[in-house]
Amino acid sequence: MIVRYEPWGAWVKLESTAALVALDRDGARALGLDGSLGAWGESAGPSAPVEVHLAVTERCGAGCEGCYIDARPDGREKSSDAIVRELDALRDAGVFTVAFGGGEPTTRDDLDVLAAAARQRGITPVLTTSGLGLTEARAARLRGFAQVNVSYDGPGATYASVRGFDGAAAAERAIERLVRAGVRVGVNVVLTRASFERLGHTLARARSLGACEAQLLRYKPAGRAASLDYLTRRLSPAQARSLGPTLRFLGESHCADGAFHVRIDCALVPFLSADDAIMRDPGRLTRFGVFGCEAGGALAAVRTDGRVAPCSFAAPAELHGEDLAAGHADDPTLARWRAYVAAPPEPCASCAIRGACKGGCKVVAAFVDGAHGPDPECPRVIAHRSGAA
Amino acid sequence: MSEERRIEPEQILVARVGNGANCSSIGSVVDTLFAAAVVGTAVFAALAAALATEEVRVVGERGGDASPEAASADARPARRGDP
Repeated sequence: MIVRYEPWGAWVKLESTAALVALDRDGARALGLDGSLGAWGESAGPSAPVEVHLAVTERCGAGCEGCYIDARPDGREKSSDAIVRELDALRDAGVFTVAFGGGEPTTRDDLDVLAAAARQRGITPVLTTSGLGLTEARAARLRGFAQVNVSYDGPGATYASVRGFDGAAAAERAIERLVRAGVRVGVNVVLTRASFERLGHTLARARSLGACEAQLLRYKPAGRAASLDYLTRRLSPAQARSLGPTLRFLGESHCADGAFHVRIDCALVPFLSADDAIMRDPGRLTRFGVFGCEAGGALAAVRTDGRVAPCSFAAPAELHGEDLAAGHADDPTLARWRAYVAAPPEPCASCAIRGACKGGCKVVAAFVDGAHGPDPECPRVIAHRSGAA
Repeated sequence: MSEERRIEPEQILVARVGNGANCSSIGSVVDTLFAAAVVGTAVFAALAAALATEEVRVVGERGGDASPEAASADARPARRGDP
């Protein structure tokens, strides 16, 4: 296991099973640790990220209508040497997981080398790909990744409704090829007004192809998605309110045997404020490690220009990835994001799930409201603004 | 480190299961969250067992802020049962 001291104890990444565990100080002491690095003593600044998203290219020929970095066939690509230096910085900071993305990362020839470089530094590498054009040989070269997620919003027309072209068959072939190559495969499902209604069918199809996990992603107004179309594609308020019951149904339908899992992204957490059972036992969210907006905190993103951003959708800070270990605590942009989460305005301030949600998606707030504030699509925020809460 | 260790499930503040494999936004497994309580208990027990057997390696240059302000409910994982 890999251990990182924290003021409250330690983060522990297990290696025999894929899990990240927060132990209290007594638990850390039971591991034989004593806080000798001073983490349990003097103040040492905010904690480093546990997960970093590393954009390794802005090249991509898919042309997805909602691409959050506006990737193009001639997009910028980062050098291998620069990525390795960034991995050094992630190791020095004690980062546990690095998620390679883009653009389309499989346009690079060195992904297997980069995965090995991450592992050599004790960092778990994972990858996101569209799967378009992924050959058997290329799939085999991705075995160094702990998991590869293929963008798959649903079969046929459902996929096309999200991305603007029908790449579902190509994504399905990629899932099958990766599974045959022995790679652990998940799918990324972007939730739009159209794809949400087909979720059960999409998950069933993904599982039948050999995927072991579905990550549900809120559609976000960044890159090419930062347009008026966003307002017609985003989940309806009724769909947002129904997320909790929908997840329960999906869990019962697809996950009961433990062979398939459903994840939600940080930006979906505020929608759980409409779920009575969750609001009655909000500590359950934190106990099971549900992360809301960790931008600038447990999460950081490193762009292809080397600059660090609070998350992949946010504007960058001045800090560069190669300086992450030394500069994460003091960078003013990252500090501003953390400070907002520590003392949000109402209705977030009094929300029972604030500790996990952390105020919802600030990227959505900036686009819809023009401000770094409460998530305007959160059911509780909507009710507050209408005077109902 | 091979000596016997005993980790109590109650000492686990947070259990994040699975690999975070998305490159844009941080994700969390939720099917265990919504499953019956017995499933959650089994998850914590299994993790406690794994913690008792694996070799330990410490990483990172330093820990985080130990100040009372930073150790508020927003800056640390909630203890089990915390609101």
